[in-house]
Amino acid sequence: MIELTGGKQPLTLDNPVMCSAGTVGFGPEYGKLIDLSRLGGIVTNPITFRPRKAAGGTRVIPLDSGVLVHSGLPNPGIMRAVRDYAPAWKLSPCPIIIHLAATAPDELARCVGALEGREGIAAIELGMSDDATHRDIKLMFNAVQQHTELPILVRVCLYNAAQLAQAAQDAGAGAVVVAAPPRGTARDPLTGAMVGGRLYGPWLKPLAIRAVGQAVHSVQIPVIGCGGIHNPDDAREFLSVGAKAIQLDSIVWVRPEMVEIIARNLGGLERTRASGALADEWKPGMGETAAMRAQILASPPPKPPVAPSNLPK
Amino acid sequence: MQESQVIIERVRRVGGAIQQLDIAVDVPQRTVQAGQVFLARATDSYDPYLREPWVPIRKRGGTVTVERSVTVTYQPGQVVGFLGPVGKPLLLRETARTLLLIAFDSTPAALLMLAEQALNVRVAVALALIGEAQYYPLEALPPEIEILRGEDATWQGQRDSIRWADQIVAVAPPPQDRAYYLKLRAAAKDARGEIAPGYVLGLFQPPMPCGVGACLACLVRVRGEDVAACVEGPTFDLALVSLE
Repeated sequence: MIELTGGKQPLTLDNPVMCSAGTVGFGPEYGKLIDLSRLGGIVTNPITFRPRKAAGGTRVIPLDSGVLVHSGLPNPGIMRAVRDYAPAWKLSPCPIIIHLAATAPDELARCVGALEGREGIAAIELGMSDDATHRDIKLMFNAVQQHTELPILVRVCLYNAAQLAQAAQDAGAGAVVVAAPPRGTARDPLTGAMVGGRLYGPWLKPLAIRAVGQAVHSVQIPVIGCGGIHNPDDAREFLSVGAKAIQLDSIVWVRPEMVEIIARNLGGLERTRASGALADEWKPGMGETAAMRAQILASPPPKPPVAPSNLPK
Repeated sequence: MQESQVIIERVRRVGGAIQQLDIAVDVPQRTVQAGQVFLARATDSYDPYLREPWVPIRKRGGTVTVERSVTVTYQPGQVVGFLGPVGKPLLLRETARTLLLIAFDSTPAALLMLAEQALNVRVAVALALIGEAQYYPLEALPPEIEILRGEDATWQGQRDSIRWADQIVAVAPPPQDRAYYLKLRAAAKDARGEIAPGYVLGLFQPPMPCGVGACLACLVRVRGEDVAACVEGPTFDLALVSLE
């Protein structure tokens, strides 16, 4: 169990592994593929006060060992998100952290107002834009803080993460998430157009670890590491540079089973170790092993082999 | 929907450019129906990073057959990570007696399971191979299917084909899909006057990073709302999709 105690309200998590904003939807989407109860929490896709449509044109560009995603932050708006997903948040097997995109202070305040009193919400994560300044962080944070008692995390961009983490600490944030996926531009091989968007992939990890290390040295509040984590060793590297918890991003899409493996590894839940098997050797749902085991247990035991009578004595 | 590991049982070359893989799948994946896809990862590396959509063209018992390009080598016994079935089934209209399938500039693989399903209930099936699709090897198709060919979206005899069909299902590659479907919708309206619900369907095949509607990268605008192709699609009624 870890406690992120930077702000006026502590955020207590059973496991230091979370899924980051923009990867797992608004709550229930991954329920069939991942045992969410094993996670420390999930952060919802970014929500804004007004509904936002998806970006037009190409939204996904495959890269060498990675991907560029330009979704345009599509979301139903806070009112409809609450209407559609609040029942699922209430029943969620793990804490839900609502990610609010920091668009304008008054809109943030109204978003927080709409979330007030909803069960299952453990914290609010404030997603700052890439060009946010110290003043922006303070303004946006104050707008949220005045209307909620929930712990508030602030997610900053990868570049100048240490300075922005300092600004988040000065504003009173409970923890700072380092960092949002960086932006890049790539040519769409199908249309030839240049497309800008967020970058994901394992190569992001060294950049993120450096930013996390710098942030850890510049602030006293807990730092949550995020970026390019694809296995338990990656996650432990973030912890070794001082992160108190981690958020997983695109690994959720490319290897959902790895999410549970990382959570089990970092949460001290590696039950297979006792039998001598490595955790990575087992994957949820692999080969219907649970169903087959149940079938085998339900069937009568096999009869012992009978020796042929014509064998020489 | 389940994540699992499946085994390639047999690799069969068909024509010069495609190969068919017989894959032994788990029980949940045997429920796959026409229109649904699997998101597959055939390597342990992260290149390619995202799972690739593998479209089933046939299923027999615990074996599903998919079609792949010959540019990648697959071996019998190879283990593949499978996620799926993804999406909603493509349903044949109950009153349909004639079915027109159209492949614009792409393999008709995504339509073959529906073709087989239609033939099994004695629905007459015609397949229009348009543009690059003309070079698809005919030995990969059931002999009962009537083949039409055309150079572009308005092929000769298109109007008659549309009037003949009780249902039309088309596939086109992104990003040209919208342009093709727009022309098809206009042609259907011209030939029929009114387009009934479920009469003209189009398959949308955008990249699907997650396959569960979480990443919102495969959204299609239907009835004024963004819906995820990996959850509500990938087949949509073209009368309801915003194509402009």
